[in-house]
Parts: sequence; structure tokens; C-alpha cells
Amino acid sequence: MDFLEKYELYACLQCGKCTGGCPVSLRAPLNIRSLMHEVLMGGSPEVALECPGLWDCTTCATCTLRCPRGLEPSELIVGLRGELVEQGNVPKTVIDALEGTFKHGNPWGKPRQKRTEWKEDIAVKVLPEEGEAEWLYFIGCAASYDPRLQGIPRILCRVFETAGVSFGILGTKESCCGNEIRRMGEEGLFEELREENTKNFNASGVKAIVTTSPHCFNTFSTEYELDGFQVLHYTQLLADLIKEGKVTFSHEVNKKVVYHDPCFLGKQHEVFDPPREILRAIPGLELLEFDRSRERSLCCEGGGGRMWAEGAGEGERNSEIRVKDAHEMGAEIIATACPFCLLTLEDGAKTTGLEEKVLIRDILELVAEAMGFDNV
Amino acid sequence: MDIIVCIKRVPEVAEIDLQVDQTGKGIQEEGLVFGVNDWDNYAVEEAVRIKEKHGGKVTAITVGSEESEDVVRRALALGADEAAVVTDPQAEGSDAYAIAKVLAAAIKDIPYDIILTGALADDDSYAQVGATLAELLDIPHATLVTAIEIEDKQVKIKRELEGGMEEELAVATPALFTIQSGINEPRYVSIMGIRKVAKIEVAKHDLGALGLSPDQVGSAGSFITVEKIFPPPVGEGAQILEGSPDEVATKMMDIFQKGGVV
Repeated sequence: MDFLEKYELYACLQCGKCTGGCPVSLRAPLNIRSLMHEVLMGGSPEVALECPGLWDCTTCATCTLRCPRGLEPSELIVGLRGELVEQGNVPKTVIDALEGTFKHGNPWGKPRQKRTEWKEDIAVKVLPEEGEAEWLYFIGCAASYDPRLQGIPRILCRVFETAGVSFGILGTKESCCGNEIRRMGEEGLFEELREENTKNFNASGVKAIVTTSPHCFNTFSTEYELDGFQVLHYTQLLADLIKEGKVTFSHEVNKKVVYHDPCFLGKQHEVFDPPREILRAIPGLELLEFDRSRERSLCCEGGGGRMWAEGAGEGERNSEIRVKDAHEMGAEIIATACPFCLLTLEDGAKTTGLEEKVLIRDILELVAEAMGFDNV
Repeated sequence: MDIIVCIKRVPEVAEIDLQVDQTGKGIQEEGLVFGVNDWDNYAVEEAVRIKEKHGGKVTAITVGSEESEDVVRRALALGADEAAVVTDPQAEGSDAYAIAKVLAAAIKDIPYDIILTGALADDDSYAQVGATLAELLDIPHATLVTAIEIEDKQVKIKRELEGGMEEELAVATPALFTIQSGINEPRYVSIMGIRKVAKIEVAKHDLGALGLSPDQVGSAGSFITVEKIFPPPVGEGAQILEGSPDEVATKMMDIFQKGGVV
């Protein structure tokens, strides 16, 4: 199958719904409708490889979800990046992320031995060496290594402990899920990561996986072939635990909170309600909604490898728009449920000078407050 | 323009808490990740770029354990045409001089115009193999090379000097250059790329096949032997700040302010 057939470019109507919904087309030299046309007319991917906006795409998949013909324009971007990867012609920051993942199992290139440093003194079972469990908690690279995020898995472990959830982790055996790696075009490395993680999942003895990150959740759900495994994002499991009365809140969080839907959780998997159910269950918390929310949520620009590729876009970042919108509607906190969204929004809060007025929090950080956890 | 690139497999030690092994003369390798020496990666890229522009053949050679085949395979995926690995337990304990002897023996039957090596290796930082190899082969060499331009019968190169200066030299070929990092931007080598070269045969030699006797290599054939490896003693005056990033930043600002820095 040739490149044009693989991405079904012959079926494109050139209606422009893709570009119309693209969260980066207004600030970056990327017009996905016209790119589809150029590749079709040029007869090969070569004509599009010089496109300066190729690394601006966040693979949020808005284009793919809006396409009336069911085509996948965001996958065309991944395919074009794949051509560049095979030529070796990718930005240095992307090379570092890919080589870091190949060598150390994470795109930051941090040592594997330090993958469990987030735990601090929390006792968590490593599967299968230290026993059996019902759930495998997949921490993900960002939450494992980024000091701003390391507290988030600690909170979830404490929540599981309180709720009596039987769970364990892979410890230093855990490797990058590959979601971002695949989207940076490194299909071969993605395949190796999928193979290694699948082997570890099978050996762990569990039949259910819960993730911190919507990005891991996405690739496990749709790009791994995990027969007989249930895969959930933590917001889905936590919303159920609250409904079952296993997680209760003792402290009020008297804040106006607006929820930001991560693309890989919301629009790509329609997990819109569980995060909101958790926030509504927190006493004192007033939940606000962005104008652009749920399937229309504005992408934070942290996905699709953008954590390691600056892109060519200029002007106001989406995260800055998001923070300003939140401030204008009187929100004191933007809550989200994705490590990348948290980091990009926090950057937006800093660059707009609103970092003391609009706090960026993971839902779990508000849950910890409502459960009266200290030292998190 | 035929080019030989000499490369080395080294451990990645950034952010790792290295431990000295039981012999006291090496490091514990368990759990370490190995890859191509960073300077050598620039050398391979430079060789392939020269080949792409001027034609010829690139051969990658390494001396080391059997696992060293990984780094020459990677060089093949990057664009080298042929590769050789010299593996022999008797070569263990070799200093730069002994390694240069092994390399000289390995390349004696391979035609070349230029030999490239990394300026130094990430692990022992001797920076001696390149220059020693050039002496053994009786060819000119230049170290810390930051640019190479091929001309007829000679090569124009730039070298890095102290104080931000550079010098430009014309060197007659055959010649050897040790490559400084930053001479180019090495391309990415994909997993598919490595899979594609899986069928290319890598030549394997032991010392006997190269006509070397055991007393020419290892500690017997070396001027330098390692007596002891140890972490440097902890000095006075360092202060390690602890706490969350916010707390550490606040403490650091305090120190800066008290010291009159800000």
C-alpha cells in the first residue's frame, strides 16, 4: 500500500473542517487541509517534508474527529514525521527524546534506576516480584521523573490505600508507553516499547491497568493489543470509588474551579463526565465550565511530541489563552487530569503573569486536599 | 574518498551513581546503559557526509567486547558501508597505545584517505588513541577538528584552540583527524534503520587474526596500567540545599542576597 492509499488521501473532499477546528492553524504555519491536498497532488510524502509546521501539530485529533469522510489527517502528520525519522532529519530535541527513550525507557533520558524516586517513603508493591494485585498502576514517564508531577502518583497511591484498592506497580521495569514516541514518527521504537510493556503486563498477573496520564491510557486502549485487559484512566476508577462510597471527602475546598479537558481523555475517548463527577463531589468546590469545553476543549499544545518539539508557531500560546479565559470567568483554579496539560498550563500561567491568580492543579491534588492528606 | 572511523562503546553515566567494582580498577557495569561515544557519533556523521558529497566508502571499526557490535551496527544504519569488531579477552587492560596498535593492525589492509576518531572518549577521557594511531601509521594528524573540507589531494580543516580561537590547516592525505563535538548535527538513527542493516555482515577479528601477540596488548603491551579508581574526596565548602523546588529556590535567593550577588 503506498503512502497516499495508507492515509486515504484520494477520499479527501477538501471541505476544510479539519483546518477549521485545528487548535494550532491560527498560530503556526500548518494547514492540514492544504497539506492533504499537496501530498495527494505531489504523489508522495516528499513534497510535504519541508512544511515548517509539521512539528506544531499536537495530534489532538480534532481534525480526525471532525472529518466527514472518516479520514485521519492527524495520522498523516504522524506518517510524514515518520518519513523524517527514517531520514534521520528531525529536530535535536526530538532526537534526544527518542534516544533517551531507546536507552533509558523515558524521553527525558533519566536513569531507569531513578524511575521510582517519586515514591519517596510510600510502600507500593512491585508486580510480580512482591506479590499479587487486582490493578496495575502505570505511573508514566512524566509523573515518574518531573519534580512538579511526582506528588500526583503519591496521592493516587494513598487514595487507593484508603479505598482498599488492591494495586501494584512495575517499578523500574516500567518503560515509556510510546504514545508520544509513535506520534513523533518513531514507529519502530514504539513497537519495541509496546512489546516490552505488554510482556511486563502479562507477567504482572493483573487483568486491569490504571494510568496517571491520558496519553498512556490512549495508547494502551487503542494501539496495544491487550486481550482481556481492562484499561482505565485514573479519573474513571476514582469516580467509581466515590460512587461506591469507598472514597469520601472530609475537608472543604472553597474554590471556583474550571476543568480543562485533556484531548487524549476528552475528545479522543469521550471521558468527559468522570473528572467532573470527582470535582462536583468535593465539598465547597464550585465547578465552572470553559466556553470551549468537552469535545470543543482547546488543546494545551503539550501532546504529539510537543513536549520535545518547540514548533514554528508564534504569538499567544493556547495555554495562555486558556489561563486568561479562566481568569476572566473568575476561576481561581484550572483543574486538569493530564501531566502534559498541567505543565503547559502552568507555563501559560507564568508567562501571562497570572500564576498567583490562577492556580493549575491536577484533580488529584484537589482530592488530596479534600481528603485531608498532608505532606503531599 | 575512503574513510575509516574508529569508534568506542561506552557507558552512559550522566546522573548515575557510579560504583567502583571489586577489583578497585573499574566500575560496576550492572544496570548501566551503553552506547556509542558521543564524539565518535560526530565522527561517523562527518564521514558519512563526506561520502555523500564526494563518494567513496566508510568503514567503522571498534575494539571491545562482543557487545560492541551494537555501536558499529548503529554506524552502518547511519550510513557506513562496512564494519569490523576486534574482540579478544587478551586486549583487556590495554591503554591508548595498545588500543592504537590493535587499530593499526586492523586497518592495515583497508584502503583509506582519511581516518576519523572522536577527540576523546566519554569514559576515560584520555584523548590519545587518535594521535597515537596516526604516529603508528606514520601519517599526519590534527586534533579537535571542527570543520573538514575536501580538496584535491589535501584537506582543509579547522581546529579548536584556546580562548575561542580557531586555526585553519591544509593537511596532505592520507591523514587522521580527531573530531570535536559540534562539528555537525548527527542525524537520528531509527530502530527501523538498525533493523534494515541487520543482514550486513560485520567482520570479526581476534588478535591472532591481526598478527598481534598477547604481549603487544593488554597490560603487557601498555605503558599505562590503572592502579585504582575512586570517587574524588568530598571537599569543603559545598552546601546542598534540600526541600521542594520552591523551598530550594527561596533558600538560594537568600544566599545570593546575603552574599550581595543580587
